[in-house]
Amino acid sequence: MGQYISRRSVHGLVSLIGLLILVFFLSRLTGDPTNLFLPLDASVETRQEFAERHGFNDPLLVQFGRYIGDLAQFDFGTSLRQQRPAMDAALEAFPTTLKLAAVTMFLAISLALIVGALAAYRPGGRFDRTASVISLAGASAPDFWVAIVGILVFAVSLRWLPTSGTGTWLHWIMPITVLLIRPFGLLVQVVRGTMISALSSAYVKTARAKGVKERVIIFVHALRNSTLPVITVAGDQAAAIVNGAVIVETIFGWPGIGRLMIDSIIQRDFAIVQATVLLTAVAIFVMNIVIDVAYAVLDPRIRHN
Amino acid sequence: MKRIACLPVAALAAFALQPVAAQAQDITIVLSEEPDLLEPCQSSRSNIGRVVKQNIVETLTEIDPNDGTITPRLATEWSQVDELTWRFQIREGVTFHDGAALDAEAVAYAINRTMDENLDCEVRTKFFGGLKVTPTPVDTYTLEVATDSPVPILPTMMGTVTVMSPNTPMGEPDREPVGTGPYKFGGWNVGTNITLARNEDYWGDAPDVANAAFVWRSESAVRAAMVATGEADIAPNIAVQDATDESMDVSYPNSETSRIRIDTMIPPLDDVRVREAVNLSIDRDAIRGSIFSKDVIPATQLVVPSINGHNPDLEVWPYDPARAKELLAAAKADGTDVDAEITMIGRLGIYPNSTEVMEAMHAMLQDVGFNVKLQMLEVAEWVDILTKPYAEDRPPVLQQSQHDNNNGDAVFTAFNKYHSEGAQSTMADDVVDDLLVRAGAATGDERRQLFQDAFKRINDEVIADVPMYHMVGYTRVGERIEFTPSISTNSELQISQIKMR
Amino acid sequence: MSEASGPVLIAPEERPIRQVALLLWRDKFAFVAAAYLSIVAFFAVFGPWLVGDLATSLNLRLRNAPPGSIEHGWAFVLGADALGRSILARLIVASQNTLGIAAAAVCAAMICGGTLGLIAGYVGKWPGAIIMRFTDVLMSFPSLLLALVVLFVFEPGVKNVIIVLAITRIPIYLRTTRAEVLEIRERMFVTAARVMGAGSIRIVLRHVVPIVAPTLVTIAAIDFALVMLAESALSFLGVGIQPPEFTWGAMVALGRNYLGSAWWLAFWPGLAIMLTTLALNLLSSWARMATDPTQRWRLEITDKYDG
Repeated sequence: MGQYISRRSVHGLVSLIGLLILVFFLSRLTGDPTNLFLPLDASVETRQEFAERHGFNDPLLVQFGRYIGDLAQFDFGTSLRQQRPAMDAALEAFPTTLKLAAVTMFLAISLALIVGALAAYRPGGRFDRTASVISLAGASAPDFWVAIVGILVFAVSLRWLPTSGTGTWLHWIMPITVLLIRPFGLLVQVVRGTMISALSSAYVKTARAKGVKERVIIFVHALRNSTLPVITVAGDQAAAIVNGAVIVETIFGWPGIGRLMIDSIIQRDFAIVQATVLLTAVAIFVMNIVIDVAYAVLDPRIRHN
Repeated sequence: MKRIACLPVAALAAFALQPVAAQAQDITIVLSEEPDLLEPCQSSRSNIGRVVKQNIVETLTEIDPNDGTITPRLATEWSQVDELTWRFQIREGVTFHDGAALDAEAVAYAINRTMDENLDCEVRTKFFGGLKVTPTPVDTYTLEVATDSPVPILPTMMGTVTVMSPNTPMGEPDREPVGTGPYKFGGWNVGTNITLARNEDYWGDAPDVANAAFVWRSESAVRAAMVATGEADIAPNIAVQDATDESMDVSYPNSETSRIRIDTMIPPLDDVRVREAVNLSIDRDAIRGSIFSKDVIPATQLVVPSINGHNPDLEVWPYDPARAKELLAAAKADGTDVDAEITMIGRLGIYPNSTEVMEAMHAMLQDVGFNVKLQMLEVAEWVDILTKPYAEDRPPVLQQSQHDNNNGDAVFTAFNKYHSEGAQSTMADDVVDDLLVRAGAATGDERRQLFQDAFKRINDEVIADVPMYHMVGYTRVGERIEFTPSISTNSELQISQIKMR
Repeated sequence: MSEASGPVLIAPEERPIRQVALLLWRDKFAFVAAAYLSIVAFFAVFGPWLVGDLATSLNLRLRNAPPGSIEHGWAFVLGADALGRSILARLIVASQNTLGIAAAAVCAAMICGGTLGLIAGYVGKWPGAIIMRFTDVLMSFPSLLLALVVLFVFEPGVKNVIIVLAITRIPIYLRTTRAEVLEIRERMFVTAARVMGAGSIRIVLRHVVPIVAPTLVTIAAIDFALVMLAESALSFLGVGIQPPEFTWGAMVALGRNYLGSAWWLAFWPGLAIMLTTLALNLLSSWARMATDPTQRWRLEITDKYDG
C-alpha cells in the first residue's frame, strides 16, 4: 500500500507540474492586466510605465522563469490587486470551501443511500417514481435560480432564515441545500441503479432464502454493493465543490476559494489564479488517493492490481 | 408531523435573527464588491472609496455634490501664489487616529506617498497622470503645492487626495488605514466584513452612528432583500427592477453618463451623416421608464449639469427614423458604403440591464436599415478595444461605455475622450483640440465658456458619440435610519451623514 | 386496473419497432418523456421557421408582461421578457441552439473521452499514463479560465461554447471508459479472442466497444442536463452564449436579474431545461431496462404498483 501511495504521489506531482505550466501560459493568453488595473482615463504613457515596472512586457518565458524561481523558494507570487502574498489570500478562503464541501457531501451521501435504497426496493413503484423525479428535477435545476428564489421565499417572505452571510447554524441551511441538490440527485440514481442489480443477484437471493430480515438485506447486503460507484460519483462531486462552489459563495456571500478564483480570473490577477489552482489541485489529488485507498480496502480484487 | 416539526425551526430562526439588529446606533451597509485593499490613495475606486473616503481618511477640500463648488475640509483656505503654485492653510488642532498631529509636514507626506509610482495609486494615475507635484511646508500649518505645468483647478483636484497618517509606510500598500476622519478602522474579516468605530476625538461634529459594518453581496436582489429583512440598513446601489418598495427605495443621480462611442475614423462611420443617422435612430423615450428608470435624464453631452463646463443649450437628439433613412440614402448616393457591417460592442454588467439596452438599440438600428452586429464582451476584452493603442485593421465600432465625473470640472472628462491624443478618443478635430487645450489652462467664466463651446462642437458638429442618459442609481434605506443619497454616493458613503431615527 | 390481478406477458413480436413502441407504452413515464422529447426535437428543427420574427421583435410597452393572459395574443401566454418579446416564441426558437450545443458538446466529449479512455485502458503503458495525467490536469483546470482562453484565441460564437463545454466533460467519459476496459480486458471472451489471434483493433471494436457504449450513453443522458446548466453558468459569468444569440441557459441567466419582480423570465426556460433532463433520464433508464435481459420483465408485466 505504501508503495502504491508513493507511486500515485509521483503521478500527482507530474500532473501538478503540467497543470501549473498550462495555467501559467494559457492565462497569459487572456490579456494583460494593465488595462484592467489602471483607470480608463490613464494615459498611454502611464500604461506603458505600469506594464514595464510589473514585468508584463517581458517575454513570457522570462516571466515563467521568474515564477519557477520564486516557486522553488515557496514564494507563490504577489497578488496585483491585493498587494499581498497570493497564497495568503488562497489559504484564507480555502477553509470555508472545505467546510461547505464536507457538510454537503456528508448529507448528500447519507440521504442518497436511504432514498436510493428505498427506491430500489420496488423499482417502478410509487416511491421510486417520486424519488426519481424529485431528485432528477433537483439535479437539473439551475442552482443560482434555486438560491435566489430560496432567499426570496424563506428569508424575505417567510422570514424563517437569514438571507445570506455567515454566523449562526441557520446561515448554513440555504447554502447547503443549494449545494446538496445536484450531488444528491446524481447519487440517488447511482444507489438505485446498483441496488436494483444487487437485489436480483444470487447472494441476496441466498440471504432471503436463509430468512435474513428484509431490512438487513437492503441496508447491509445490497448497499455494500453500491459503495464503490457511490464513492466514485461522490468523489467527482466533492471535487467539483472544492474547485469552487462559486454560485453559492457568490450569492450567499461566503468567502470561499471558488469566488476568489473567479474574481481573480476576471481581473487577470494571475498570482492568485495560480495559487488557488495549485491549492485546489493538491486537495483534489489527495482526495483521489484517499478514494483509491478506500477502493482497495473495500474491494480485495483491486488490491492485487 | 411536518407542521409540528416546522414550528421550532421558525421559533429558533426568530431567536437567532435577533442579535443581527444589534445595538441601537450600529448600522450595516451592504455593498456590491469587497475592496481588495484599504489603501487610501486608491480611494477613487468606488469599492475602496465607499469604505475609507471621508470616513477614515479625509481630503483637503471637498466637492459639493450639488453645484460642484469646493468647500474646506482639512484645509481651511487656499490661494494661488503664482501660475504653478498653490498655498493651502491646514486646519489646526486635528490629530490622526494614531495620535500623530495633522500639520503641513503630514499633508506633504501624504501627497508624496500618493504620487509614489511604486504604489500604483489610482488617484495619481486617474487625476494626476504625467503631472509632477511638489509639496513644500512653509510653516507648521501652511503648505505650498507646486506643479510642473499650470493647474488652475488644483483645489478641486485636492478633493481627490486623501490624507493618511505619516506613520503609514511609504511605498507599501495599506490594509489598515489611519486617518483623521470621523471613523476609525476597526477590523477586516476578509470575505465577511469591515467594521468602523466612531472617532470620539473627531475635530468636527460628532456623528450619530456609533459603529458601522460593511458587508458584500454581488447580487442586487440579495442586497435589496437584506435591507428588507433588516439584516442591513443601507444598500447604496440596487438595480431598478429590485427597487420595488417606494417607502425604502430612493433614486439619485449617480454622476454616471451612458453613451455609445462612435469610431469616427473608420468608414462608414467617418461620414457625419451616418453618425447623425445613428443618433436619430435611437428612441430614447422608449428606453427611459422601461429598461432604465423613469428618472434618468436624456443626455446631450458626457458631463452632468452640475459639472463646470456643461453646456445647457445643447438639444437631445430626437427620435426620427425617417430623417435617419434620408441621411443614409444621401450618404450612400455620395459613395459611402452604408451597408458595411458595423459592430456594436457592449460590456456585460457595465450598469444594470446593460445587455437589454444594447439589444434594444441593436433592434432600433436594424429597423432603420443599419447592418449592425452585436457583441457583448467581458470587461478585459472591452477595455482593450476602448483604449489606445487601437488595432490598425479594426472594424467600424459603436461601443457601449459609461463615464463618471463627480469631481466638479469638465477637464476630467474632455481631454481623454475627445482630444485627438486622448487615451479613449476616436476623433481628431483641430478645433476641438484647440478649444480643449485653451480651456484646460483657463480659469473662471472663460474656462466654462471654452468647455461649453467644445461640447457644442463635439455633439452637434463632430457627433462623436450617441449620448444616452445621465443615469440614476437606487439606494435602499432601511427604516432605522435616515439617509439621502447624492451624486457622490457612487464613490463615497459618508457615514457621518447618516442619522438614526 | 382490471389487469392488476396478475402479470400479463406480452408475446414476443416479430416487428421490432412495434415491440419497442409497446414496451414504451407500458411505461407511462417513459412514454410521456418520449412524446415531450419529440415535440422539443420538432421545435428544434422547425421552430425558427415557424415562429419567425416573433422571438426577436421588440415591444418595450410589453416589458415583463406577466404570463397567463392572452390579451396580447397567444404568443404571450407565458409572458414577455425584459424587452417585451414573447417568451413562448423565444423558448421555441432557443430550443435549436440549446439542444444543438448540448448535443454537439456531449457527443464530442463522449467520442474524444471514449477513444482516449479505450487507448488508456487497452494499450496502457506510457500512452495510458500520459492520457491519465492529461485527464488529471484537465479536471483541475478552472473552466472559466478555459472559457476565457478559448474566447480570446478564437472569434466569439456558438462554436467556442461547444469547445469549452466538450473539453470540460471529457474526463468523465475517459475515466469511465478506461475503468470498464480494464475490467473487460481480463474477461474470458476477450482473452479467448486474443489467443485466437484477433487483432487489437478488431477486439476493441467487436468485443469492448459494445459493452462500454451503453454506460457512456447513460452518462450522456445526465450530462446533457449538466451541459445545459454549465452553458447557463457561462452566460452568467459573461463568457457563454451572448445576445443576439440565445439559449434556454442564457435566458435563465438573463432572467435571474428579474427574479424579484418578474419570476417568469427565468422560470420557463429553467422549467424547459428541467423537463428535458427529466425526460432524457426517464427514457434512458427505460432503455437500460428494456435492453437488460435480467430487468426486462419489469416492463413486460403491468406493474400493480404503477396503477
